[in-house]
Amino acid sequence: MKTESEKYNKVLDLLRKSIPEIDSPEDIEREVIKRIATIHKSRLNLSGVIDFLFGWIYIGWVRRSLITVSMILVLIFIYQQGVILKRIDVLSRRTIVIDKENAPAPADEIEKMLMMYRNSGRRFSSKNITISERQMKELFESVNELQIKYKDLENLIEGDPELKKMIEKKLIENNRTKINL
Amino acid sequence: MIDLKLIEECREGNFNNFRKLVELTSPFAYSVAFRMLGNQDQAKDVVQETMVTIWQKLKKIKTSQVYKTWIYRIVVNKCYDEMRKRKRNPEFVADDNTWELIANRISEGPSAALENRETSQIIGILTERLSSKQKAVFVLSDLEGMSNDEVSKITGISKSAVKANLYHARKSISEKVEKYL
Repeated sequence: MKTESEKYNKVLDLLRKSIPEIDSPEDIEREVIKRIATIHKSRLNLSGVIDFLFGWIYIGWVRRSLITVSMILVLIFIYQQGVILKRIDVLSRRTIVIDKENAPAPADEIEKMLMMYRNSGRRFSSKNITISERQMKELFESVNELQIKYKDLENLIEGDPELKKMIEKKLIENNRTKINL
Repeated sequence: MIDLKLIEECREGNFNNFRKLVELTSPFAYSVAFRMLGNQDQAKDVVQETMVTIWQKLKKIKTSQVYKTWIYRIVVNKCYDEMRKRKRNPEFVADDNTWELIANRISEGPSAALENRETSQIIGILTERLSSKQKAVFVLSDLEGMSNDEVSKITGISKSAVKANLYHARKSISEKVEKYL
């Protein structure tokens, strides 16, 4: 009696020996070439459309003009960047740092600050003055103190007519007038 | 073995050489396709599509040794697609006469050979319950006589998976052979 593997091997042998053959190989060949030609043709059509749309870039004078224009644009861009960088550099040297977290100053204080800033700008022509927050505070405090002392002095002079006369006399002698802050 | 020179010439777009390549490639591509699908027309379609794919992707090939494996891979993948389509529209109906035919051909002795139609019937009845992968592994390994390494490269599955699929395919076919023959 045949075993299972023997039967299996016989069937396999039968199948192995029977190699499938193409009944009409020419048909396959013809069909393949036909399909490839169709694909090739559609590719050519596509390249024709692309040439029609973008073919002008291959015209000599158009290409040269485009190159020139692009170079000019690049040069303008570089020049512009240089100018901007220079300007930023100048501005960064003139920056005054003021801490934003500080309590808002009263209106008269701000006026004083602005006046001080304008005066300092007029007096010091140097472009690169950097004042720290601490220095600003010290300056305002000393100005306030000076104003208080000046007022006290004024009151003192107003309260003593003799002293006032003497000071006026001295000022006339020295050819000087009262200075208003 | 297909000459690398021929492949090189085909890459350059030589249609006449491609005809030669189709002529050399079609038989073994058809053999695998036919044995996997068991249908002449579908196998022809697969061969045609394979040849068109080869034409389109020929530049990827570097050595002629790789060429055959690459072709088999394309054929197997196209067969998978066909089998997937066929799953939606199954057309094979098992016929009891097929077992009679196998028995007759085996009894004829070693000189017996099958016609395409008969091969189609036998493969159909033997592999009807196999999965696509099992079918591919069985055809490549047992009918085309390839090693597990080659089958693994062509199908893209691991060697152990090839062995497992082959074991299940052989078992299923042996059971059928034992039962009906």
